[in-house]
Amino acid sequence: MFLRRRGLFLSVLSIGFLVAILVGTGSVVNYINLQSQVLGGFINPGGVYIVLSKNSTSITDSRVDVGLVSLFNNVDYVKYVVAQRMLNVSLFTDSGVRVVYVRGVSDVGVFLKMRGAYLSGGVARNWTECDVGELFARVFSIRLGDSIRLGFNGVYVDVKVVGLFKSQTQSDAELIVPIETVNKLVGDNNSVSFIEFGLKDGVDVGKVGGEIMSMLPGDVKLVHVQQLKEFVRDMNLQVLDFLSVWSVVVYMVVVGASYVIVTRFVIESNYELFMVRVLGGKRFHVFGLILMYTMVVAVLGSVFGIALGVVSVQIVSTVLRWFWPSVGISPFFDVDGVFLTFLLVFVSAVLGGMYPAFKVVREKYVGQFL
Amino acid sequence: MRFIGYKYVEGRRVMVFVVILVLSSMLFSMMAFSLLGFYRVFGGYLGGGNDIVVVYDRNSNTPFTGLIPIYLVENISSIKGVMAVSPEVIVPCVLKNESVFLRGIVPEDFVKLNQLVMVEGSMIRLDDLDSIIVGKNLAERFDLKPGERVLVLSVFVNQYLELYVKGVFVSRSVMDDEILAPLYVGQWLRGTDYNYVTLMRVKVNSSMVDASVIFEAIGAKSSSVGSSGVSQLFGGLLSWSRPSFKIENIGVNEGQKFMESYLSRYGVTKESLIVLSVIVFLLCGVTIVVAFKTILVQHKGVVGILRSIGVSRKFLRVDLLFRLLFWSLFASSIGIVLSLIVLSVMQAYGFLRVLSHTVLIYPDPLIIILNFVLVFVIILLVILRSDLE
Repeated sequence: MFLRRRGLFLSVLSIGFLVAILVGTGSVVNYINLQSQVLGGFINPGGVYIVLSKNSTSITDSRVDVGLVSLFNNVDYVKYVVAQRMLNVSLFTDSGVRVVYVRGVSDVGVFLKMRGAYLSGGVARNWTECDVGELFARVFSIRLGDSIRLGFNGVYVDVKVVGLFKSQTQSDAELIVPIETVNKLVGDNNSVSFIEFGLKDGVDVGKVGGEIMSMLPGDVKLVHVQQLKEFVRDMNLQVLDFLSVWSVVVYMVVVGASYVIVTRFVIESNYELFMVRVLGGKRFHVFGLILMYTMVVAVLGSVFGIALGVVSVQIVSTVLRWFWPSVGISPFFDVDGVFLTFLLVFVSAVLGGMYPAFKVVREKYVGQFL
Repeated sequence: MRFIGYKYVEGRRVMVFVVILVLSSMLFSMMAFSLLGFYRVFGGYLGGGNDIVVVYDRNSNTPFTGLIPIYLVENISSIKGVMAVSPEVIVPCVLKNESVFLRGIVPEDFVKLNQLVMVEGSMIRLDDLDSIIVGKNLAERFDLKPGERVLVLSVFVNQYLELYVKGVFVSRSVMDDEILAPLYVGQWLRGTDYNYVTLMRVKVNSSMVDASVIFEAIGAKSSSVGSSGVSQLFGGLLSWSRPSFKIENIGVNEGQKFMESYLSRYGVTKESLIVLSVIVFLLCGVTIVVAFKTILVQHKGVVGILRSIGVSRKFLRVDLLFRLLFWSLFASSIGIVLSLIVLSVMQAYGFLRVLSHTVLIYPDPLIIILNFVLVFVIILLVILRSDLE
C-alpha cells in the first residue's frame, strides 16, 4: 500500500542518482588504477636487494653484521653478494679539503661488473688502491695514477688511483675502495653499512622475497631496490584518498535525501499511519513501517543506482571512443565495491530516516506530523 | 508586483531544503575546484605563458617518460631570441616508502626559468655530486631538513641513491612537491646514459622566437649530425656524444599547450571536467526536487487556503521563487565556502595529491557563477512544474 504512493518513484530516483555518482566515479578510478598497475606490470622488477639495519633512515647510518654475507653464499638463486660500507671522508687535494663519499666494497671487481662499468686501468685489489668514477675525477681533477689522501676522525690513508670508470650510476660520483681501506679508517672490521645482492635472471622476485626475509635476523630490513609496485600503489592511494573524502559528502547527501523522503512519506501517509494506531498497532509498529519504507527505498535506489552508474559510464566511454579514439577507457566496478556502496548507502539512508520516524512515534496523536 | 506579506513558508521546514542545497553545492564545488585545480597544476607544470617552449619526445605516452638527445642544447642555445635552455630529467622514484618526483637539472640554467627562494640551506651546484634540494611541501611531508641524508629508490631501474639534503626551496609552483638534483642524478635514476634528457624547457623572447623557429633549427641540424663528436658544456662536467635522431620524433610546443595536449589525449580538458561536475550536480538535482516537493507537501494546507482566497497560481509561483531564491543563493554560498574549507583541510593533511603533486585550489569564478546558475535553474524548473493546488 505504502509503495504505491506517487512519491516513491522520485524517491528511488533521488537515492539512485546519488548512488550512480559513487559508482560512476568509482568505476573510472578503478580503471585508472588498474591501468597504472598493468603499465607497472610491463616492467619486470629487477632482482636487486639491499639489507640495511632496521632503524636506519639512510645508508650511512646503517650498520649490519658482516657475517650476514655468508647467508647468501650458498643460495643457488643469488647471482652476486657485495658487502659495502659508505663513509663520508675528507679528501685532501691540491685545491683544499672536501668531504666526499667513499664506498668500500668487499669485491671491487664484482661491484664494477654489476654496475656495468667501463673501466680504464685496473681494479683496486688492496687497501692502498682505489677506482674513481668519471664525474668524481672531473670535479676533483683526478687522473689515473694519482695518489690521494683520505681522512676520517684523525686517521689518514693514502691510496693510488688504479682505475677510472663510467657506469651511468651514482658510483660515477664516488671513490670505490676495497672494504679494508674503510675498515682502516673507521677501525672496525665487524660491520658494514649494508649488503647488496642480486638474483639470477629468471628468478621470480615475488616468490623468493619471503624466503630471503626468513633467513635474515630481526634487526635488519630487506629493501627491494626497484620500487615500481610501491610507486604505483602510492599513486593509486592518492586518488583513493581524495575519492574517500569526497564520497563522505555524497553519503551526507544520501542522509539528507532519506530525511526528506521519509518526511514526505510520513506527511502523505498520515491517514494510514493513524489507522494503524487506531486498529491497535503499537508505536513500534508505526516505527517499523516507516523504517521498512526507508529500507525499501534504499535497496531499490541502490540497485537502480548501481545499474545506472555501471551502464552509463560504459555508454559514455563507448561514445567517447567513437569521437575520441585516443580515450580508450573501460571503466568497471568490482563486486567488493558493489557491496560496500550498497552497505554504506543503506546505512546512510536508514540513518536519515531515523529522525522523522522517531518523531512520529513520539507524537501522542497522529495528527499533522513534522 | 506585491508579494504576500504573510510568512506562510516556515523557516524550520525550509532548513532541510537549504541543507540539501548546501550539500549539493558543496559536492559540485569540491569536484569542480579539485578537478580544475588538477588541470591548472598540470597545465602549468612546465611553465605557463608563451615565453616557455618545451622540446620533447613525441613518442612518449607521458611527459615523464620521453628521451631526447641532450646535445640539442647547443643548437637551441645558438638561436637568436633564446634566453635560456634548461635540460631536465623528470623521474618518478620512492622516498621513505612514498612516491615522489625528482627533477635532474642544470641549476644555473634552471633558475633562469624558475625563481627559487631558498628558505633553508643553500642552492645546489652542478658539481654537488650527491646533493639535492627539496620543495617546501615535500620537506614538510617527509619532515626533511638540510643536512639530512635520504635513501632514494628508483622506479624504472635497479638504482638506489643516498642523497644529501642541501636546502629547502619555495617556487610557488608544482615544484614545491619535487626534489631538484643535478642533472646526472636524474639520469642515474632514469636509467639513461648521459646523452639523453626527458625534455628541455626553453625561455624565449616571444616576439623573436616561437616553437616553430626552434623546431626548424633542430630540423636543420638533425640532418647534419652523426654519432661522432663530443661536446662539453656546463663547465666541462657533463660531456656527451651526438646520437642521431629522427626529427619527426621531436616535438616543440609552448609549455602549457604541451601539457594540455597530453591531458587531452586521455579526454581531460577543462570543458570535460566542468561537464563532469555539472552532471554530478544534476544527479543531485533530483534530491533538490524531492526536498522542494516535501516543502510543498508540508505547506499544502496554507497553499490551499491562499489559492481559495484568490491568490493565483502564477502569483504563488513567483512569490515562492523569490522566497526560496534568497535561501538558494545563501545555501550555494555556504556550500562553496564549505567546499573550499574542506579542500583546504584535505590539502593540509595530504588528501589532495595527484601524481604526488599537491592540487592547488583556486576558487574559479566560472564555477562559482555556474553553481548559482545551476541552483537557480533547478529551483525555477521545480517551481514552474509544481502543482500548487
